[in-house]
Amino acid sequence: MIVMLAGTSFAAESSRPLSFVNDIQPILTKAGCNAGVCHAKAITGQRGFRLSVLGFEPEEDYEAIVKQGKGRRVFPPAPEESLLITKGAAIVPHTGGKKLEPGSEDYKMLVRWIAEGMNYAQKDEAKLSGILVEPARVTMKVKTTQQLKVTAQYSDGSSRDVTKLALFEANDRAMAEAGEQGLVKTLDIPGNVAVMVRFGGRVSVCSVSIPLGAPVDSLPPVKNFIDQHVFANLKQIGVPPSPLCDDSTFLRRISLDIGGRLPTAEETKTFLESQAPDKRDRAIEALLNSPDYADYFANKWTSLLKNTRSDAADITSNFAFHAWMRDSLLANTKYDQIVRQILASTGTIVSNPPVAWYKRVKEPTTQLEDVAQLFLGVRMQCAQCHHHPFERWTQAEYYHLAAFFSQIGRKPTAIAGEDLIFHKRGIAQTEHRKTRVMLKPAGLGEPELDIAPDDDPRLALVDWMSKKDNPFFAKSLVNRYWKHFFKRGLVEPEDDLRDTNPPTNPDLFDALAKSFTDSGYDLKTLVRTITQSHAYQLSSTPNQYNAVDRQAYSHYYPKRMTAEVMLDSIDMVTGSKTDFADLPAGTRAISLPDNSYNRAAPFLKVFGRPEGASVCECERVQSASLAQSLHLMNAADVKAKLTASGGRAESLSKAEMPEPKRIRELYLAAFSREPSADEVRISENYVVKPRTDAAGKPLDSQRAKRNGYEDLLWALLNTKEFLYNH
Amino acid sequence: MLAKSTLTLAVFTWMAASALAQQVTLPLPRLLTVMPMGGQAGTTVEVTITGENTEDVSELMFSTPKITAKPVAGAEKKFTVTIAPDVPVGVYDARVMSRLGVSSARAFSVNKLPEVIRTKANNSVETAMTLPLGTICNATMTKRSVDFYAFQGVKGKRVAVDCAATGIDSRLTPVLILADAKGGDLKVNRTGGVIDFTPPADGTYLIKVSDLTYQGGERLFYRLALQEAPGTGPAPRQPQTQTVSAMSWPPAGLAATAKAHETEPNNKPAEAQKITLPCDIAGSFFPAADVDTFEFTAKKGETWWVEVASERLGLNTDPFVLVQQVKATGGKETLTDVAELYDIAPPMKVTSNGYSYDGPPYDAGSPDVNGKFVVKEDGTYRLQVRDLFGGTRSDANNVYRLIVRQATPDFSLAAWAVHMTLRNGDRAALSKPMALRAGESRAFEVAVQRRDGFDGEIEIGMENLPPGVSAAGLKIAKGKPFGHLILTASSDAKHGFSLANIVGKATVNGAVVTRPVRVASMEWPVKDAKGEIPAPRLMADVPVSVSDSEQAPLTIATAENKVFEAKVGETLKIPLKLTWRNDFNGTSIKVKAYGEGFSAIKEFDIPLKAATFEAVIDLAALKIAPGDYTFAFQSLGICKYRYNPAAVPLAEAEQKKAEQLAATMAAEAKNLAATDAEAAKKAAEKQKQAEAAMAVATSRMKAVTTAASPTDTVEILISEPIRVSVKAATPAPAVTATK
Repeated sequence: MIVMLAGTSFAAESSRPLSFVNDIQPILTKAGCNAGVCHAKAITGQRGFRLSVLGFEPEEDYEAIVKQGKGRRVFPPAPEESLLITKGAAIVPHTGGKKLEPGSEDYKMLVRWIAEGMNYAQKDEAKLSGILVEPARVTMKVKTTQQLKVTAQYSDGSSRDVTKLALFEANDRAMAEAGEQGLVKTLDIPGNVAVMVRFGGRVSVCSVSIPLGAPVDSLPPVKNFIDQHVFANLKQIGVPPSPLCDDSTFLRRISLDIGGRLPTAEETKTFLESQAPDKRDRAIEALLNSPDYADYFANKWTSLLKNTRSDAADITSNFAFHAWMRDSLLANTKYDQIVRQILASTGTIVSNPPVAWYKRVKEPTTQLEDVAQLFLGVRMQCAQCHHHPFERWTQAEYYHLAAFFSQIGRKPTAIAGEDLIFHKRGIAQTEHRKTRVMLKPAGLGEPELDIAPDDDPRLALVDWMSKKDNPFFAKSLVNRYWKHFFKRGLVEPEDDLRDTNPPTNPDLFDALAKSFTDSGYDLKTLVRTITQSHAYQLSSTPNQYNAVDRQAYSHYYPKRMTAEVMLDSIDMVTGSKTDFADLPAGTRAISLPDNSYNRAAPFLKVFGRPEGASVCECERVQSASLAQSLHLMNAADVKAKLTASGGRAESLSKAEMPEPKRIRELYLAAFSREPSADEVRISENYVVKPRTDAAGKPLDSQRAKRNGYEDLLWALLNTKEFLYNH
Repeated sequence: MLAKSTLTLAVFTWMAASALAQQVTLPLPRLLTVMPMGGQAGTTVEVTITGENTEDVSELMFSTPKITAKPVAGAEKKFTVTIAPDVPVGVYDARVMSRLGVSSARAFSVNKLPEVIRTKANNSVETAMTLPLGTICNATMTKRSVDFYAFQGVKGKRVAVDCAATGIDSRLTPVLILADAKGGDLKVNRTGGVIDFTPPADGTYLIKVSDLTYQGGERLFYRLALQEAPGTGPAPRQPQTQTVSAMSWPPAGLAATAKAHETEPNNKPAEAQKITLPCDIAGSFFPAADVDTFEFTAKKGETWWVEVASERLGLNTDPFVLVQQVKATGGKETLTDVAELYDIAPPMKVTSNGYSYDGPPYDAGSPDVNGKFVVKEDGTYRLQVRDLFGGTRSDANNVYRLIVRQATPDFSLAAWAVHMTLRNGDRAALSKPMALRAGESRAFEVAVQRRDGFDGEIEIGMENLPPGVSAAGLKIAKGKPFGHLILTASSDAKHGFSLANIVGKATVNGAVVTRPVRVASMEWPVKDAKGEIPAPRLMADVPVSVSDSEQAPLTIATAENKVFEAKVGETLKIPLKLTWRNDFNGTSIKVKAYGEGFSAIKEFDIPLKAATFEAVIDLAALKIAPGDYTFAFQSLGICKYRYNPAAVPLAEAEQKKAEQLAATMAAEAKNLAATDAEAAKKAAEKQKQAEAAMAVATSRMKAVTTAASPTDTVEILISEPIRVSVKAATPAPAVTATK
C-alpha cells in the first residue's frame, strides 16, 4: 500500500505577505467558520458576524472581518488580541467552541495576516484554477487506509499542497470514512465509493474501488448489455453473483415491480406449468401491456408531481391530473412528451390536465427547483442564494433556469383557486438576486438562449432537456427507474447527480442512459430492458461471499412492499376490499389519485404512503417500524379483512376440496409458490384442530375451520416472505 | 366605467344560520330532465320528464315546430315525441307548459342514428350492455360507478365513440375508456372528446363511461354514440349547445365558409403566406405550437379590423394575433410590433366568484380576438395567429376563422335575467325562464358587443308577446356596454304564451340596423355557485308566458299611465301606486333605479304596505340632459311566500277519498274472510293497494302543505317602466346690473 504524507505546511513562502483570498479563507472554511449552520447562516450569520457560505464571496467576507463590527474583529497592534483569534481559539467564550488551536500552523497564519495589515490579495495574485486529487482512482481492500493528496493549481502555473486545508467526504459512509487530513479508511463492504474533496470553492473526487476478491467462477448467461456491465463489475471486485431466481419468485417479483400487485393463484399456476422457453419475457410483456403498469407508475409519478388535496374542491383537478398521468403511461407516451406536456402546459385543467402542475407549483423558483431535481436529477436549491457547494452551479445558472418560467400568464377561471395558464408574450428573463442583472433563459452549463417574445420559453426548456446529448435528462430517469427495480440507484440519492457523486457503475449508467435515449425515451422499453436482464433476475439469497454487497447487484435486494401494494395484496389474499371515498367499489390502493386517502386509511399512513409534498422519492417511508408490525398483527382493519364475510378464509373453509389442496391455494395466493410438504402438514394440523369460542364453548367444525384459516392467513401475512418482494 | 348592475341586499346572519332556510327568488317552473335526451329524425319516441315547480304540465314544446309532443294517456310525466324526418341534426330546446307557465329549457338532440336507452345497471364487465354499431345510447350516470357497453369490433374497421354531455346540459364530465373484452384498458379520453379506434383484431370490445370524479345522479346524463368512421378525417362528433360567448359570432352577413385557407408551412417569417387585405381565411391550430404567419402590404392611414373565431365555434382555444411591420435594411430584417390582439373583453364585469357576486355570472366576452391595427407607414406587414393554449396540444379539430376587414360597424346583443347578490355569501345562479306571474315586472340585462368602433345608442324592443304582457327596453346609451329590458305582466293578465323576439335597433352609418338579442340562461338552478360552478348557455329562442295561477307579491306602478314631464334641473315627482299581495319582512324596501340617466338616483325607502308613494327625483343631481327616458325602480324584499296553496284542499280531498277507500276495502275483506277464502284473498289484495294509495296521498298532502306554508323568499322587485320627457330648462331671466 502506498502511503503519502500530507504536506506539513503549504508552500507559502514566509517572505510573501499573506492574502485573504488564497491563504486565510481556506483556513476559515476548514475550521467550519463559514458553514451554513455557523456564521454563514442566511441573513443573520451568528451574533451579527456573517460570512458567505463556504467562502464563495471572499470580498464580502473580507469586509465582514476587517471592516464591519466597527473593525473590532481584528486588532493589528496586538494581533493575538483580535476578536477573530480569541473567539476562534475559544480564549473568550465562543458558542461555536474551539476552532483554532493556539500555536497551531493555522493560528500562526491568522496572527501573521493581521500583523501584516490584512491584505485582501496580492497585486496580480494568481487565482485558484483547479484542484488535483491523488490518486484519482484507487483500488483498496476492505479495512485498509489510503492517504489522499490535494494539490491546488493556480492561474500562474504554480501549485501547492493543500491537503491539510481541504475538506473530505465519502458519498457512502457505510463503505468508507474520510478523515480530516485526507486519510481514507475502507470498511467491510465491497464496491465503489467516491471521496469528495473540496478546496476554495473547487471540488474533485477520488474514486475508490473496494474489491472483495472472491473467486467469480460462474456467471449467469448474459441476456443484454445490463448483464455485461453488472457482471463485469462483479468480476472486477470479486463478488460472485447468486444464481437466477426460480419461476415463482420471478413471477411474483415482476408482478410487484411492474404491476404493483401479486400474481393471482391462477396466473402463478399457468406460469409454473408453462414450458415455453421465453415465458419470462412473455410475462413481462403481459404486465407492461396491462393497466396495472399504468396504475402503478402513475401512483409513483403523481406523488412526485405533488398531486395533493388541500381543499375538497381540488378533487376535480387531482382526479384529472392523476388520470392524465395514468393514461399517458397506458398509451406509452414517450417520457420526453410527458415532460413537455407538463412543463409547457397551457389552458384549463379539465381540458388539459397537466396544467394542474402549475396549480400546485406556483412560484417560478419552486418550478425550476422541482424540474431540476425531478427531471434532471440536479438539486439547484442552494444556488438560489449562493454558489452550489458541491457543484459547479452558480447563482447565475439558477436564475437562467428560472427565466424559462418567467413568462407564465395566469387568468382566473370560474373555479376558485384554479388559473388557466398561457404564455405571456414578452422577453423571458429573471433578475439575479444578488447582481440585479436580468438574465435570459439558459440550460444548465449552456449559453443564454435568444427566445422570441412570442415563443413560449418553456418549450425551449423542454427542447434542451430532451436533446440527445443532454447530460441529465435521460440519466436522471434511468437512475430513478433502476432504483425502482433494484432498490439502490446507480447514483444515490437517485435525484442527486453530480460530478462529486459518481455512479457505482459508470459504464452501466452511460449504457442505460444511451439505450433510453436511443429508444426515443420509451419507458416501457426501459422497464423491459431492465426486467429482462439476468442481473435483475438473480436470486435474493446470498451465497457465501456476496451477503456483504450493498451496491454491486450481486443478488436481488429484497424490498418491503409499499403501503399501497401491501394493502392491495392483503385485500387480494384475504379476499376483501377496501372502500375509498368517491371511487367505485373495487378501486385498488395503487390507483388512488391523491394523498387525501392517507387520512381515511391509517394503513397507508403507517406504511409510509407519501403526502406528495415534495419531489423527493424519500418522502415515501420504506423503513420498518414497530407501528407497522403492530398494525399487521393487531389492527382492526387488518383483522376485519382476515374475517371478512365472503373472504378467502370463509370460502376456503367451505370449498369442496381436501385440506392440502386448500392450503396449496392459500400458499399460491400469498407466496406465489407451492407449499412444501412440511408446510402442508403443519398447516393442516393447525387448521383441523377443534376450537372453542371466547366463552370456552366448543365451536362447530365449520366455524372452527374458518377460524383456523383466518389464523393461518394471519400467520402468512405476517411473514417476511409475504411482506417483501424478494 | 361599469355600473354595478347586480342587486344587493344585506341578509342578516340569523338567516344564514337558521334552519328555516331562506328561499332565493320565487319558484319558477324548470324542466330538469328529459329521458331519452333526444331521438332519431323521422321517428317517434316516448320521453319521461322531471321538473321542479311544474304542476299541471299540459304541453311539451320544442324550439322547432318540426318536433311535436303529445301526452301519454294516463301517465303524468310521459310524452310521445314525433321528430319529423327533415329535422336537421342539432340540439334543440325542450320545455313544458305548467301551472306557473313556460319552464326553463333542456337540450333535446336530434341525430340520424337509431337510439336506445340504457334500462338496467351495467356496472361491470359481466353486465355490459350490448351496443350495435351506429347507435346512440341515452343513459344517466350512477355515483361511484362505471357504465360498461360491449360491441363487436372488426379488425381494421375504424369506429368513433363520442359521449355528449357538457354540450347537452349534462353535469357529467365524461371519461371514455375503450377496453378489451376482459375490461383491460386500451384507450382513454377524459377531456370530453371522442375515442377514435381501429380494432387490431375481430372481437368483443368494451366501452366504459364514467364521470371524471365518479359523481352520479339524474343531472349527469349522457348520449353515447358508437358509429363507424370511414376514411381518415376527424371522427364524427355530436352537436352541442352554444356558450354565451358565441353571442357575438358570426358577424351579420358573413359567408358560411371562408374564402381562403391557410397553407402550411407558414410557421416561420420566411414561410409567411402572402395575402391581400381584406381577407377571410380558415385555418387550424395544428400541430402543437402551430404559428400561422401571413404577409401583406398596407398603406399609411389604413385601419384594419381583425376578428378571429375559434372559441366561439365551441373549441377550447385561446387565439392571439400579433401584427408586425417588416423592414429590411441591408439584408437584415427588423420587426416592429404594430398590435397585439388578445381577448374580446366582456361588456359587463363578470363575477369573480368571490364571497358574493360582483357582476353577472354571464360572460359575453371570449378568448377570441376582435381588434384593430392602424397603419402608420406604407410597407410590408406580417400577421401571426397562434393558440395560447396550443403549445403542447395537437388536435386538427382546433380550427379558426380569421377575418381582416375595413371597419364594418355593427353590434351583437345578449340578454339574461338579472341575478341578485346576497351579502351572506349566498350565491344563487338560477335558471330563470321568462315565466311571469300576473302583476310582475322582471328585469333583464342586455349586453352589447360593439364591433369595429360602433358606439351609437341602441334601442331595445320586444315583439310577439302574449296578451297582457308588455316590454320596455331601457336603451343602451351611446358608448355604453349594457342596458336593460323590463318585461311586465299586467295584474289582470290571463294564462298566455308566445314565442317572442327581442331586438336591438341602432343607426349605423345613417341606416337603421336591427339585430336579434340572444337570450342566455343557466342550464341548472345553481343554489350555491361555490359548490357548483354555474353553466350558462345561449337559448335557442325566446319563449314568454304569463300565469294567472299566482300574482306577484308586489306591483309597483305609476298612479297615472302617462309620460312624466320635467325640465332640466327640476325636481321630478312621480306618484306611485303599490299593490302588496304578500307580507314582507322589515319596515320598508330600499329603492334604486335601472335605466340610462336614472340609475344614479339616490336610494330611498318605501314603507311596507304603503298603497301610494311619491318618488321625488332630483334631476339636477342626476345632471340629466333633455330627452325622452324610460327607467324602472328596483328593489329587493323578503316576502312570505306560499307555494300553490290551492293544491292543499285538493290534496286533502284526495287524501280523504283514499282513506275512505282503504276503510271500505278493509271492511270488505273482513266480511269476506269468514265466508269465501278465495274472494277474501282478492279483497285483501285490493285492501293492500288502497292502503298504498292512501300512503301516497298522505305523503303528497304533507308535501303540498309544507310547500304551501309561508316561506321567507327574497325577490327582486321591479316597477313597471316609467317614461319621462325632460325638456330644456327655461332660460333664467337676465340679471340687469344695477348701478
